[in-house]
Amino acid sequence: MRIKKFLVLSSLIILVLTLSLAFTKGALGHYPLPLPGVRLLASWYLFTTLNPQYPVFTAMSPEAVTAIVWDYRGLDTLFETAVFFLAIVGALALMRGISLKSALNNASNRVGDGGLSLICKTAARLLTPLIIVVSASIALHGHLTPGGGFQGGSAAAVAPLLVLVIFSVYFLLSKGVSEKPMLILRTVGLVGIYLTALAAVLIGLFTGLNAYVFQNQPKPDAPLGLPAQISGALISGSLLFFNVFEYLAVAGGFTLVFILLSIPEEVVKSFIGGETHE
Amino acid sequence: MGELFNEVLMFLGTLMIVVGAIADLIGSIGLLRFPNFFVRLHAATVGTIWGAFLPLIGAALFAAGYVELGMYRWFVAGGAVVTASLILLLGPVGSHALARASYRSRAAVPHPLIHDALQEKLREGEKK
Repeated sequence: MRIKKFLVLSSLIILVLTLSLAFTKGALGHYPLPLPGVRLLASWYLFTTLNPQYPVFTAMSPEAVTAIVWDYRGLDTLFETAVFFLAIVGALALMRGISLKSALNNASNRVGDGGLSLICKTAARLLTPLIIVVSASIALHGHLTPGGGFQGGSAAAVAPLLVLVIFSVYFLLSKGVSEKPMLILRTVGLVGIYLTALAAVLIGLFTGLNAYVFQNQPKPDAPLGLPAQISGALISGSLLFFNVFEYLAVAGGFTLVFILLSIPEEVVKSFIGGETHE
Repeated sequence: MGELFNEVLMFLGTLMIVVGAIADLIGSIGLLRFPNFFVRLHAATVGTIWGAFLPLIGAALFAAGYVELGMYRWFVAGGAVVTASLILLLGPVGSHALARASYRSRAAVPHPLIHDALQEKLREGEKK
């Protein structure tokens, strides 16, 4: 046993020493930093992200991460969103036909009963509106400060999760947060994201001007573009709309999955049990 | 006069942060050395109120007195006060939920037990 401990300890020490020797002798190049070419790319993003003097390249947003996510590589993010929605579609397909409505009507599942103690419930009542407000500010400020639609939506989904744990899933359903409204919210968000991506093209179709899919600011050969500011307030063109719709979609999608996950096993069995053999 | 006031604010803030660090140390020693779950939970809450709430108020006072930050010191101070009040509200709620759940599910054994008042109350409730 003592030899085993000694072997483990000495092999860890040898690993650390070998790695540090390799790094000091230049195994990863002379600096443990990204290659100079990569750093050039980063400084290019920082230079162009809010630079009205270079209207060809700028995204008109001081928050470079949101600008990269929804402007520089917007199509990539659109497909990431699509993957997220496919996952929710998969959860919905697994739970198809199963509803908590019938269990809600049972006398044994009265809404007020169950859940944690009164202290926890009071704290949750105070905290839930606060979470919604903070998450909305994360999403609406996503083009100015760190944050964005996905982050805000995930934070907003914590509020129904808290209610779900501290009260019960039936309490959440009785407040109107059930599968169907969340599905509608998610769909509205997704349609909004697609419409924002196609906004410049749709305007271009009617005006006969050249435009691109996912266009944010005007380009030399495509004079259309979304406004960078409205009456002096910076909205960064399409970024604000993307963030708002992504917020709705992610909050709805996560809440939907949380409700589906919290369906009790007996309810699921009562739906998929089929006929019993005698 | 204003300068002296800022100095006092910064001194009070530093004092609160130091007290918080000592309380964190005491809480972590208690977490390691106490015999069962419920008293260890008590040591952990020493770390949340004395070790997190108090230093955050201290950080707010320090930021309010640190004039070199300019206007931004009010953002720092406001953020610290909001976080501190949330911890003051939610730390006790979390430890209450943990203690209640572990008592009712009998997951934690209160081993060196001197007196259990809650058990007597529960038995009285069952008799009625």
